[in-house]
Amino acid sequence: MHPVLESSSRSRRDFLTSAASGAGLLALASLLRDDGLLAAETGERNPLAPKAPPFAPKAKACICFYLEGAPSQVDLWDPKPKLNELHGQKLPESMTKSVRFAFIQKETARLMGSPRTFKKHGQCGVELSDFLPHLATCADDIAWVRSMHTEAFNHHPGQLLMTTGVSQFGRPSMGSWLTYGLGSASRNLPGYVVLTAGRGPSGGTTTWHNGFLPSTYAGVLFRSHGDAVLHLGNPPGLGDDMQRKTVEALGDLNRRRHDDIRDPEIESRIAAYELAFRMQSAAPELIDLSGETKQTLEMYGVGRDDPKDKGGRGGGKGVYNQFATNCLLARRLVERGTRFVNLYHASWDHHSDLDRELAFNCGMADRPVAALLKDLKQRGLLDSTLVLWMSEFGRTPLGENRGGSTNVTGRDHHPFAFTLWMAGGGVRAGTVLGKTDEIGWGVVEDPVHVNDLHATILRLFGFDHLKLTYRFQGLNYRLTNLGGKAVDKLLA
Amino acid sequence: MNRSVLLLGTLLTLAGRARAGESPRPVDFEREVRPLLVRSCVPCHGAAKQKGGLRLDDRAEAFKGGNAGAVLKPGDAAHSRLFRAVAGLNAEMKMPPEGRTPLTAAEVALLRAWIDQGAKWPKGSAAAVARTPATTHWAFLPVRRPPPPAVADARRVINEIDRFILRRLEAEGIAPSPEADRATLIRRLSLDLLGLPPSPAEVTEFVEDRRPDAYEHLVERLLASPHYGERWGRHWLDAARYADSDGYEKDSGRPHAWRYRHWVIDALNRDLPFDRFAVEQLAGDLLPGATTEQKVATGFHRNTLTNREGGVDQEQFRVEQVIDRTNTTARVFFGVTLGCAQCHDHKYDPFSQRDYYAMFAFFDGDKEIDIPAPLPGEPTPPPPPVADAKDKGKKPAPQGTLAQTLAQGPGRKTRVLIRGDFLRPGAEVRPALPAVFSPLSPSGREVVGEGTKPTRLDLANWVVDPKNPLTARVTVNWVWQKFFGRGLVATPEDFGAQGEAPSHPELLDWLAGEFVRQGWSLKGLHRRIVTSATYRQSSKVRADLAARDALNVLLARQSRLRLEAEVLRDEALAASGLLSHKVGGPSVRPPQPAGISELTYAGSAKWVESKGPDRTRRGLYTWFQRTSPYPMLLTFDAPDSNVCQVRRERSNTPLQALTLLNDPVFVECAQSLGRRLVAEVPARSASEGVSHERIRHGFRLCVGREPIAEESDRLARLFEDLHALCKAKPEAAAKLLGGSKPAGADVPEAAAWVAVARALLNLDEFVTRE
Repeated sequence: MHPVLESSSRSRRDFLTSAASGAGLLALASLLRDDGLLAAETGERNPLAPKAPPFAPKAKACICFYLEGAPSQVDLWDPKPKLNELHGQKLPESMTKSVRFAFIQKETARLMGSPRTFKKHGQCGVELSDFLPHLATCADDIAWVRSMHTEAFNHHPGQLLMTTGVSQFGRPSMGSWLTYGLGSASRNLPGYVVLTAGRGPSGGTTTWHNGFLPSTYAGVLFRSHGDAVLHLGNPPGLGDDMQRKTVEALGDLNRRRHDDIRDPEIESRIAAYELAFRMQSAAPELIDLSGETKQTLEMYGVGRDDPKDKGGRGGGKGVYNQFATNCLLARRLVERGTRFVNLYHASWDHHSDLDRELAFNCGMADRPVAALLKDLKQRGLLDSTLVLWMSEFGRTPLGENRGGSTNVTGRDHHPFAFTLWMAGGGVRAGTVLGKTDEIGWGVVEDPVHVNDLHATILRLFGFDHLKLTYRFQGLNYRLTNLGGKAVDKLLA
Repeated sequence: MNRSVLLLGTLLTLAGRARAGESPRPVDFEREVRPLLVRSCVPCHGAAKQKGGLRLDDRAEAFKGGNAGAVLKPGDAAHSRLFRAVAGLNAEMKMPPEGRTPLTAAEVALLRAWIDQGAKWPKGSAAAVARTPATTHWAFLPVRRPPPPAVADARRVINEIDRFILRRLEAEGIAPSPEADRATLIRRLSLDLLGLPPSPAEVTEFVEDRRPDAYEHLVERLLASPHYGERWGRHWLDAARYADSDGYEKDSGRPHAWRYRHWVIDALNRDLPFDRFAVEQLAGDLLPGATTEQKVATGFHRNTLTNREGGVDQEQFRVEQVIDRTNTTARVFFGVTLGCAQCHDHKYDPFSQRDYYAMFAFFDGDKEIDIPAPLPGEPTPPPPPVADAKDKGKKPAPQGTLAQTLAQGPGRKTRVLIRGDFLRPGAEVRPALPAVFSPLSPSGREVVGEGTKPTRLDLANWVVDPKNPLTARVTVNWVWQKFFGRGLVATPEDFGAQGEAPSHPELLDWLAGEFVRQGWSLKGLHRRIVTSATYRQSSKVRADLAARDALNVLLARQSRLRLEAEVLRDEALAASGLLSHKVGGPSVRPPQPAGISELTYAGSAKWVESKGPDRTRRGLYTWFQRTSPYPMLLTFDAPDSNVCQVRRERSNTPLQALTLLNDPVFVECAQSLGRRLVAEVPARSASEGVSHERIRHGFRLCVGREPIAEESDRLARLFEDLHALCKAKPEAAAKLLGGSKPAGADVPEAAAWVAVARALLNLDEFVTRE
């Protein structure tokens, strides 16, 4: 047994014995209950100790791709031949009258067809854009939702709604809710990890924030350069041997203080330092890919160069390799017990030059995302791992004519109908849920609001979304805000 | 075919018959319509409740309509919302709502006929009762003046606070804890009042002070320190959601935001009475002959977020700002969750949606202006150059130190926003206090008389009106929780029906009453609290309380509290001798790990590290970029500053451990502290003694007390272990030491002291106020 762990378990024994003799068995039981000690396998006062949800869960971990900026659904997931037919036509005024646009000038706006070709794939026969050849081979593992809708039509409010359930600040993100509800199965790594590729998401840290939940449930951003976790590495010149001696001495000194003061927070602090110490070796092990086969690395596209024709927005040097590496890290995190992995990539906000930018971004995402699905499947992890692909809204069937511009090459924000997909984790694979009208303007069948999506996700993890609550300012708050209804058609 | 279509058919038939056939029978309001309204409508639209702002038991109110406007159009039932709702003609609105008995077809026809005949409602047929929701909730009742109770053991009483606390403890049969030792007391006081640790010399002086009022002298010295305003200013900045950037996607910097913080620090240092502190922040610009400083104070409500994202609807985010100002005012001063009434009537507290928009109206017409606000000693800026015809319309940029302020803008008609949606304006409202306060305000529901439109200043004056039952209670509770870790009301943000009831209601009222009677002096309130025996108790956890009062509600001991983010930084810098003691001024950018500011929009917020003493200023001066906050602050639960916050979490996480162990800022502190130990305790011939001497010095610098032998021995053993490792790797040791070798020790030894210093800065006791 590691000396640190040994001394910790000794101290825990002492602590419990002394507490028992001091306060009687009844007091001990309530102390244990209050502290969640009975629930924790490790015996530590650990708010991240694994907890069972109220219902048998299908999903145990989640990998969530967040494509910030809003990928165009009519060019990727939701083919609209009629839109191509009507290319260049105006929309009847009755359709645009009460609609607000970010940039489009209503008077001169024209419908814009998609230059992409769509083909059927898999048993389910879903039609997908030619930008997604790899993902198309996973068609039968995925459930598409073509009938998403939201209220927000600006990025940051939309991102907040999609990640926290409301478009205002201050609420916990989905990953925070899930780690709050379920704890983490990892003893050595954070329960909620965030990975980003390319430039930062426009919402900054607010989309993986813990809101009013304790900071224990905040997403921990793994960094793409330097230490994987902020301040993971020892100071220059201080080796692991010195670190070990220091953490041991701190444990002894804090335990001695605890003997005198008896504050359970001291025990918590000792546990936190020991987890930090374990994380110092577990996190470098996590990001060390030398144990992965060449075939695996190849499949994900780790080590790929960026294409010559660089996208203007989604870039940043080495973004292809970074995104691929993040996909592989997501699998490794889930294997090691992390509950929720958020992968961010910005930006998909293609107000102009859409076709070229989308080609660049899809070239980056298509292969590694498909590789992740296949890799999870072959390792038997897909059944218990929910994979999500989402963004804050979609893009308009109208071309964007910002400032009356006649050179129309992009699309504006479109909250009324957009597409996202889910795979694994108990999702009904090979499903195409929902329908939009002939030009993709509005939802005509099976509308799914963001709150409904969240309710569905919570259901997959074994929760009734109405009952996973946190009391704050006199109210019981939940991820689904005031709405939400789980979508049965998406459940296997 | 659905039900409403069927019903519609029936109605048309009925109406058609009425029109075609014999002249319609006149409807008798009193006999036929009123009983119908009373039975089916008034339960939700009457004196007790006004769902949707609508009241149907009063003639005038009924014709005025609800939040969404008029419901009766005499002579035209087809266009009267009342009829359309009961007939089910509006898809979204069917009345009475589901679950209640619907009107029969005959009753609906009767209403239609009544409206078509002119909706005759005889005047004076219903008493015009004032619209005052009755409340018996304690927080909305006037502050009482309870006498401090008698207690059995008067030896444990220093001031009145102790009587209230002890009375309850005696009733429970629990003895209070003994007074903490003096070293603990001075560290507790220094951290609570200044947010800085005492120096070893200050500790010695206090421990050896034999005067009977040594403690009171210490309290006075600390309250007079300029660092007091920094400590309590930071508490206030949480509530004021202070930040140095706009928030949202673009998150542009606010280079003048600090001027407001400067005002807060100064106001607290000169103990500006809290009533004036509040009025100047809410409406300093409207005070007669407002000074620059009074205008600067209105920066309080300039801390709202601003969305400069491309393509946003400006009106939407202007409304969001007004909403934030409304909610913040309600939470900070009234301790109520008024924001719940933004979309619908409050579910638990007596605030209607109309009340919400009446409060909202106080802020609706405001505009934001940046004004020249030179600090004392700075030159007054020259008047802006007169614009010549050429650049007409182009405003000259003001020069020098500026401040963000609020000013009265063009008048604006405020309307209820249906379901909080700015695209769905409803009935017009005038600025007014929530109706629940109306019997308490000097001139009825509206703050000032008819005719003039009430202003923010009227609201501000009401906030601090002694008849207001909330502000004083909420403020003393907010202060109390900073000294004990928990408010007398454990939900400082919610004094409403869903909040927690006060643990010591009489004490809360007594403190609130004294606070007002003694001129709203915050320092006076602090003095009263910290000189009490209750505050001075030991914080040792007691086995006998574990089962009975694990959360320490009864206060039979003090609480141990993990220090706030900023204070932890300040404490480490102070212990290591690096802290800059400069008070006030612009925000600074201390060293921050690479890759943080890159998280902002297109990496737009460049982090240009400050130089010289600005690298080591107190935590509250750290530039706060809303979309990429300084990581250490968030790791230790500082607020994200997007919304008002009156209580902080105190979590305990591995990331905190990594920060204190490895964050370059804390490593720099360890290096400085290590050198300090070597330099300030020179080696003597017997090297055995010097280790213990240095450990003792380090212990006193970090936790303000002498180590006991066991602690000293354990740290000496750590030093030996680390020294051996450093000797084995001299090059690594040199890196750890950083910079030049101090006199009195070789490199491996000095490096080992750096590592020991690092351990001291990570002790549980170091991060805790005991």
